[in-house]
Amino acid sequence: MLLRSRQVPQLGWNLEYIMWIFMRISGLAMAFLGATGMALAFLMGARTQMDLPTLMRWSFFPNPNHVVNSNIPDVTQGWANGFWQVMEILIISFAATHGFNGVRMVIEDYIDHSLWRPFLRGVLFALWLFSLLVAIYVILAS
Amino acid sequence: MQVTVKILRYNPEKDEKQHYESYQVEADPTDRVLDLLEKIKGYQDGTLAFRRSCAHGICGSCAMRINGRNRLACKTLVQDLNTTKITVEPLLGLRVIKDLVVDMEIFFEHYRAVKPYFVNDEPPPEKERLQSPEERERFDDTTKCILCGACTTSCPSFWANRNYLGPAAIVAAHRFIFDSRDRAAAERLKILSDHFGVYHCHTIYNCTDACPRGIQVTKAIGEVKKAIMTGSLD
Repeated sequence: MLLRSRQVPQLGWNLEYIMWIFMRISGLAMAFLGATGMALAFLMGARTQMDLPTLMRWSFFPNPNHVVNSNIPDVTQGWANGFWQVMEILIISFAATHGFNGVRMVIEDYIDHSLWRPFLRGVLFALWLFSLLVAIYVILAS
Repeated sequence: MQVTVKILRYNPEKDEKQHYESYQVEADPTDRVLDLLEKIKGYQDGTLAFRRSCAHGICGSCAMRINGRNRLACKTLVQDLNTTKITVEPLLGLRVIKDLVVDMEIFFEHYRAVKPYFVNDEPPPEKERLQSPEERERFDDTTKCILCGACTTSCPSFWANRNYLGPAAIVAAHRFIFDSRDRAAAERLKILSDHFGVYHCHTIYNCTDACPRGIQVTKAIGEVKKAIMTGSLD
């Protein structure tokens, strides 16, 4: 008799579980999206057309406004299109949700059972939604 | 050698807040911190309060902060501290009753919450519930817990919110969840997936550093998280 495989019914999803998984996936996703942005920027000529700070700004938020003052002759050629808008929305969604959930954890940790906790949760949720909507509006309007 | 022992003292009948008092003690390098406390209590200040019982690293009574780290006073030799100035303080995160004695009620409340006992309602076999050495090995590490509280009281998540079950309770749950003879794993995993369960662990590793029994506490918490995710108890 060696190790017998044992299984219990999987538990249903709850917020803590979902956010725990989300924090890991979003962390990896941000690194992957940043690396993708950087790699594609190099393919489009970033090595000779921009300095390191500009490249970093572009990698983690690939908005044409970030590279408009570099030596790129025309940012509308490859640097400003629907693909980069989707990349921006993905990065800002992952980053904002990841960061706001971090703040939520601090609140859950440090605010004991009182009216402050639901109040701060509500404020945080509103701030998260507001910042995300503003960011998406700016991305689509720029 | 002369050793200076600085102790964070508090007498609820006299003191408004905690304060340090220093004692000079003659000690051998192989003396334990518990021996120094006994000398102080026996020969210098009989009002000093601390818990002790077996004095051999098994009962878990004498967990305290020694030079800033949670340790058992009975397992800490003076020579291992590499200094003649020793600071002794009560465990953090729990209410101090007197001097080095803390109120551990909430610690044991969390311990009881995870059902730290064998559950199996199936009719018992004629002789015994058999288990292979491999199945026993699966939870061997967490059987070593002596409930001293060094892990839970070194955890910043517990300091921040005492409703968090804490590493010791999760270790106790791990010991039964992965026991092939036990049948209450699902129930315990449900308790641990709750708001103040395993997800309050931010993998800081203080618990693993603090455990005087060398239990890989953070690893055990990780295994419980994995069991919650997959349902697999392998």
